[in-house]
Amino acid sequence: MPRTPYAFLCLVALLAMPGCKIIKTADEGEAGAAAQAGEAGDEGRIAALLEKTYDSELLPLIAEKAQATGDLRSALAGGLEAAGPSFGNRGSGEGAAWNFAVKGEGKVVEANLTSRARKAVLDTDGDGKADLTLQLGPVIKGSSLRDVAPFYRFGDFRDQIEFAKLARALNDRASAALVVPEGELAGKSVSFTGTVDLKAATDPWLVTVVSLSVAP
Amino acid sequence: MNLNRRHVLGGMVAAVSGILPALSLAQGKGIIAIITPSHDNPFFKAEADGAAAKAKELGYEVMVLVHDDDANKQSELFDSAIAAGVKAIILDNAGADASVAAVQKAKDAGIPSFLIDREITATGVAVSQIVSNNYQGAQLGAEEFVKLMGEAGEFAELIGKESDTNAGIRSKGYHDVIDQYPDLKMVASQTANWSQTEAYTVMESMLQANPGIKGVISGNDTMAMGAWAALEAAGRTDVIVVGFDGSNDVRDSILKGGIKATVLQPAYAQAQMAVEQADKFLAGGSTGTEEKQLMDCVLINAENAAKLETFALSA
Repeated sequence: MPRTPYAFLCLVALLAMPGCKIIKTADEGEAGAAAQAGEAGDEGRIAALLEKTYDSELLPLIAEKAQATGDLRSALAGGLEAAGPSFGNRGSGEGAAWNFAVKGEGKVVEANLTSRARKAVLDTDGDGKADLTLQLGPVIKGSSLRDVAPFYRFGDFRDQIEFAKLARALNDRASAALVVPEGELAGKSVSFTGTVDLKAATDPWLVTVVSLSVAP
Repeated sequence: MNLNRRHVLGGMVAAVSGILPALSLAQGKGIIAIITPSHDNPFFKAEADGAAAKAKELGYEVMVLVHDDDANKQSELFDSAIAAGVKAIILDNAGADASVAAVQKAKDAGIPSFLIDREITATGVAVSQIVSNNYQGAQLGAEEFVKLMGEAGEFAELIGKESDTNAGIRSKGYHDVIDQYPDLKMVASQTANWSQTEAYTVMESMLQANPGIKGVISGNDTMAMGAWAALEAAGRTDVIVVGFDGSNDVRDSILKGGIKATVLQPAYAQAQMAVEQADKFLAGGSTGTEEKQLMDCVLINAENAAKLETFALSA
């Protein structure tokens, strides 16, 4: 089916634009994956897309756009519709969440490292109360890593399944790179960079972490 | 005026489609056809009602048709709509691949199509595809299911009608989350074809074969209702059931402490949005937005179930 390679080429062309870089349309491995049409080729295409974009586009984008927790909170105090366009990127479709890159440090108030979806709840503004939750994997909820990036667009994918596979692959990639120390986290200081998606300015923050360091 | 023609037209379409189309009169911006699966499922009725209400509000007449998930019938309905000279078609389609040709046929006749709920596998054929993010919705349902199950135990899955794309998408979304928990063991998985009565029977036999079942995740609400009835009959109301769609039936069950959760697709609002885009497109040649738009689903549980009414969540 010819539409798949076409979609892939569009994507490659699109990805080439923001950084004004010249990217080869496809090397042999990717051509092989792209040639497999439909769902059977998803894994290959998504893997190739991650290879091309995760380290060279997504992580730099997050690093560049990341707002300090306090700054993002101040911006959100003026409303999500004002903060969104200035600092974030909106997911596809009406009513989609605004996605922000965020960085900060704080004290762990509470942690659950026994769940498959490990979490640490932080106090980042020093008032002694929890104000955000870090997702530490291996199971990560949501698609904010995908949706924070304007270069991953739903329309460039075959369907919602392929688009969802990208989100999952990004989450897996991020959580696999995290080093979470053994033992009690509560009381320790951590610093992090990650992404958060908000549908309302007052939504609780559930941060997908791309880098984490825990003070000894 | 052309009242007679309308009646004749209505009769023709009814003869072709085998159902009675609802033609209503308005100020004459033309007709919008609204084609969905059977209204037996209240979800599709909510879609059709939402689209019809918005179309009338904007000054169109409506022609409401159902394709019963039959691509051939859908093709005939498109012929009828084209022959009737409709201005636009709002479609919840009868198959991601099979529907491309019908939508293309309308496009070739100069009639724009605006898709809701399900997507098709081609772009550039429909003007809009406002897609319910069933995958994301299924992930939400599965995350809640995993939490309720305490990340462990035996469970069963009820799958929808195989020919419906969303049956597969939801099942994949469920497994995307659940399969990351090695202590959750699927002991049975079977289709009940979206049917409440079939789900009842399937659940009965699943329970006999696997008395240790602790949870059931269902591809839609009607099957969840059937499963819950079987569980009640067997005295197994301890079993955790999670559905999908956000129907009033499941809402009521949640509020009574029966079924634990479901996932709402904003059917009514989505259909209205499609009509607004159609109106904008007919007036100015553009919807002002991208063709493919994803619409997120919302988790419904005891916390927010009371706010749910006819596939819409009040603020």
